[in-house]
Amino acid sequence: MLLKTSLRSFLAHKGRMILSLIAVVLSVAFVSGTLVFSNTATSTFDRLFASTASDISLQQEPPKLGGKDVREPGKVLTVPVGSVEKIAALPGVKSVVGQVFTEDATLVNPANNKAVGPTTGAPTLTGNWADSPRNSVEITSGKAPQGENQLMLDADTAKKAGLGLGSPLQVVATSGTYNFTISGIVTFKTTNPGAALAFMDTATAQKDLLGTTAYTSVEAYGDGSRSNEQLKADALSAFGSGYKVLTAEEQKAENNKDVGSFLDFMKYAMLGFALISLLVGGFLIINTFSMLVAQRTREIGLLRAVGGSRRQVNQSVLVEALILAVVGSTLGLGAGLGLAEGLIQLMKAVGMNLSGAELKIGLNVPLAAYGVGVVITVLAAWIPARRASKIAPIAALRDHGTPAEGKANRIRTAVGLVLTAGGGALLVAAAAADTAATGGKLLGVGVVFTLIGFVVLGPLLATTVVRVLGAALPKLFGPAGRLAQRNAMRNPRRTGATAAALMIGLALVIGASVFTSSATKSINDQVDKSVGADYIIAGGRGGLTPDMVKGIKSTEGMDHVTLQFELPAVLTTADGATTEAPVLAVTPSFVQDFKLPASAGTPESLNQGAMSVGEDFAKEHHLAVGDRITVEYAGGRTQSVPVGVIVTKGNSFFDGGYFAGTDTVGKAVPETDLKLAAVAFGKAAPGADVAKTLTALEDSLKAYPQLTVQDQAGYKELVQGQFNQLLYMIYGLLGLAIIVAVLGVVNTLALSVVERTREIGLLRAIGLSRRQLRRMIRLESVVIAVFGAVLGTGLGLAWGITSQKVLASNGLATLAVPTTTIVATLFASALIGLFAALVPAFRAGRMNVLAAIATD
Amino acid sequence: MTTAAAAVYDPQIPGGASAVAASARQVTKAYGAGETRVTALDSVDVDIQRGRFTAIMGPSGSGKSTLMHCLAGLDTVSEGRIWIGDTEITGLKDKQLTKLRRDKIGFIFQAFNLLPTLNALENITLPMDIAGRKPDAAWLDQVVQTVGLADRLKHRPTQLSGGQQQRVAVARALAARPEIIFGDEPTGNLDSRSGSEVLTFLRRSVDELGQTIVMVTHDPVAAGYADRVLFLADGVIVDEMHAPTADSVLERMRRFDGKRTS
Repeated sequence: MLLKTSLRSFLAHKGRMILSLIAVVLSVAFVSGTLVFSNTATSTFDRLFASTASDISLQQEPPKLGGKDVREPGKVLTVPVGSVEKIAALPGVKSVVGQVFTEDATLVNPANNKAVGPTTGAPTLTGNWADSPRNSVEITSGKAPQGENQLMLDADTAKKAGLGLGSPLQVVATSGTYNFTISGIVTFKTTNPGAALAFMDTATAQKDLLGTTAYTSVEAYGDGSRSNEQLKADALSAFGSGYKVLTAEEQKAENNKDVGSFLDFMKYAMLGFALISLLVGGFLIINTFSMLVAQRTREIGLLRAVGGSRRQVNQSVLVEALILAVVGSTLGLGAGLGLAEGLIQLMKAVGMNLSGAELKIGLNVPLAAYGVGVVITVLAAWIPARRASKIAPIAALRDHGTPAEGKANRIRTAVGLVLTAGGGALLVAAAAADTAATGGKLLGVGVVFTLIGFVVLGPLLATTVVRVLGAALPKLFGPAGRLAQRNAMRNPRRTGATAAALMIGLALVIGASVFTSSATKSINDQVDKSVGADYIIAGGRGGLTPDMVKGIKSTEGMDHVTLQFELPAVLTTADGATTEAPVLAVTPSFVQDFKLPASAGTPESLNQGAMSVGEDFAKEHHLAVGDRITVEYAGGRTQSVPVGVIVTKGNSFFDGGYFAGTDTVGKAVPETDLKLAAVAFGKAAPGADVAKTLTALEDSLKAYPQLTVQDQAGYKELVQGQFNQLLYMIYGLLGLAIIVAVLGVVNTLALSVVERTREIGLLRAIGLSRRQLRRMIRLESVVIAVFGAVLGTGLGLAWGITSQKVLASNGLATLAVPTTTIVATLFASALIGLFAALVPAFRAGRMNVLAAIATD
Repeated sequence: MTTAAAAVYDPQIPGGASAVAASARQVTKAYGAGETRVTALDSVDVDIQRGRFTAIMGPSGSGKSTLMHCLAGLDTVSEGRIWIGDTEITGLKDKQLTKLRRDKIGFIFQAFNLLPTLNALENITLPMDIAGRKPDAAWLDQVVQTVGLADRLKHRPTQLSGGQQQRVAVARALAARPEIIFGDEPTGNLDSRSGSEVLTFLRRSVDELGQTIVMVTHDPVAAGYADRVLFLADGVIVDEMHAPTADSVLERMRRFDGKRTS
């Protein structure tokens, strides 16, 4: 009986369910699409790596630091050529291939001096062409490279750069720049993971890339008589310490780790979208069911009058929600597959070719899809269902089905006020917190509390804020304006929930834009205050080679160049604590180019055998100027360095940096470790034209397109650009939140219009024109939207300003409120309101007056 | 269709427009087509005299409400013509009809006459607000006094009794000084005491204010307040009665029932 009633009721209201359905579908689609995509990608890469991994791979043991492998810039780990024979002699080994591969070289198209290869952060792998039994690529045109000047390139990279057989190509390695001609093109057999591949013959690869006759790894393939584990054990005992051997499984795991981090980013971004649509969609569902319950008050009363129990009423609503959830989740699952396919196409556009793979739908996909869909829908319908069960049988006898006007009740108000006040207090505490870590935690909890508080307080705020917002409406728009204002206030609970969707989205965006604009402004201020250098030259993957540095130094108008090297290190302080952090070794002119804000000691001490530490670090480990720190570099080299200067915090250039002079560091590490600089700072000579010198500098570094050359203004732009990326992501989230919020407003208005059919009929009968009627509905919509926007802006400002205060001593010293963004958002929200009202207003206008009056 | 052939009236009623507030000529209203065609009004001719209180009576399904809806421009006719004052309303577009309802017609419905979001006074002045007209303060005051609502003006509809709500509706209909007021069972939802209150006000507004009122009812007592009663049966005006009393109307209605049971 129960199921039948619910099913009938669901079908009877299917029109009203559609918008809620869309919300469920959207959320479920994001969740399942993300899972399908990452399943598919993982399985594709699994297959790729499984099909190309050798049975065992011999490599040099990387230097250890603090128990972990470290990779030092410019250092290539090699195994001697003789290892090939040594491994081939092991029992069960069928064939052995010596490989040379490095990620440190850059490919440059000499025709336009542009770097060739992926721009997504995926590596460019340059190495030797060896005919291994499990190659990931095959030659599809031309032939294998031979001699010093031939090179083979992968087809995808060649196509993107417009290169073909016979095209010239430069390889900028750490040892120098070499010219090649493309002799052949290789194509991926299965999936292109997005990397660029370039092959030379073995001798050339060894000479140009390694500078020594050796291999970076030796790959062995067994004849099947012995397991990979046995082969590994044999190899390890043959070579002893200083080497490591990876089985096929271990190689696969290592490779997956690299790809994984990129895929993880995609996954979390997508899940962020899913979360937003879930959150906002939840409000939509709550509203829909609240209205359905309200409209059916008489019906439910009748059900109770003829003996239906509260439980039954409650369950009939929940079962209806369950039907919605199942239908929505099923559709969402389907849409999710489409979304995954879309993501795969997107990946293809950035170079990761997954098209060969079929969609991989694991068991976790339907489980997550239905789980998310059902839980969120039933949870959201819980409150309306409870309300339904409280309807008294007497309701059946009341005159009209007009819903009772929900007023903000006292308990709700109290809870909302406590939450909001508590959240506000947390935000204030966060702003006043001593350390960013404590402040961050307080901020996080404060954000959650204020958000929930605002949602709970929604109805109360709706009455008060809408009264103020709508006060001008009667004057501006006459009777339609007055009716709109009253309508927006008549059911504050509904108005509150509808506006909440928009509020969340806008709070997020305003908060983020306050944060990013503060960050940008702070960094600009810091550049102005503390950077004396005119140019910042950052290296690509391989760092700045001595050739490049020479190029910078010899630029006309250049006074001097400061180099900064980054060395992985472990610091041990007197209190016994160890900290893993890179030591930044800088050349003496560093103290001229940067104004280190010192809270103790002098920056010049860096050139006198001392190092710098940050204020926080010094405080934590009770360090004073003169105290010694033991620094351990890769390969077990250690030195003891006194603290020369304690750097005041609050400047993102120096925070968390441990600076030391190159002379000091050079006492502990070999010269080769200080060959590739991470970044160089140039200073124009006194009297030289800064702009002209920049042009000259760019000119002298033309051959190295992988370098970024910036003056101070350019550097500021670069930083801004990085924050903009974050902002675009947030705008994406906003877009989604707005779509669902618009659905919510449409939903509320559409249901309100249905609910107020008789009123509309009456208004039309006594002479309200269609235009006035439509205007009334549009204005109501705008009021709701602007109400949501105002709350969202308030919350967002509170969050953003607090986050700036929290990070004030960590580089976010200056607060900047993006007024243009805020004003634009408020205007946009009014437009959203207008847009959302289009359909409901049209439908209301089309109502037949007589039929409307006669409606029960 | 013998009546249709027999009666072709000149719309210009003898005695001038001032004598008639609304008139219908050969009005037919039918729903559906072919076999399922239902004729709600069948070639009805009627004139509503200005400054009089006219009641339309008839058993359920006689077409009395349809006739009123058509006269008021709320419903369209299948055939025939209708005038409100000098204006022919058949064939008017929605916009013109809306304006007509706004400027020349007042309505009192059986229930749900008031907007719950507006207070009594705002409800009363709503038609003039919509039209963008200022209410005539003296007249408004008189109307409010007449219906006895002076102390209830700031109340919301939910704070008023059913009788008071209907009185607000009457005041709203009167306040805009329409040419004609249509009431659709205005006392249908009220107890007899509240009902007689409302009917007394309607009667007084005709006698003292010269208002024209047309009221659909099935209650002989309500019809007894009118100057003239039109009896409808099966979409045709079958009889009329001047200066009716509750008893005479009841007597007449009984004959319908008798005819039906026979």
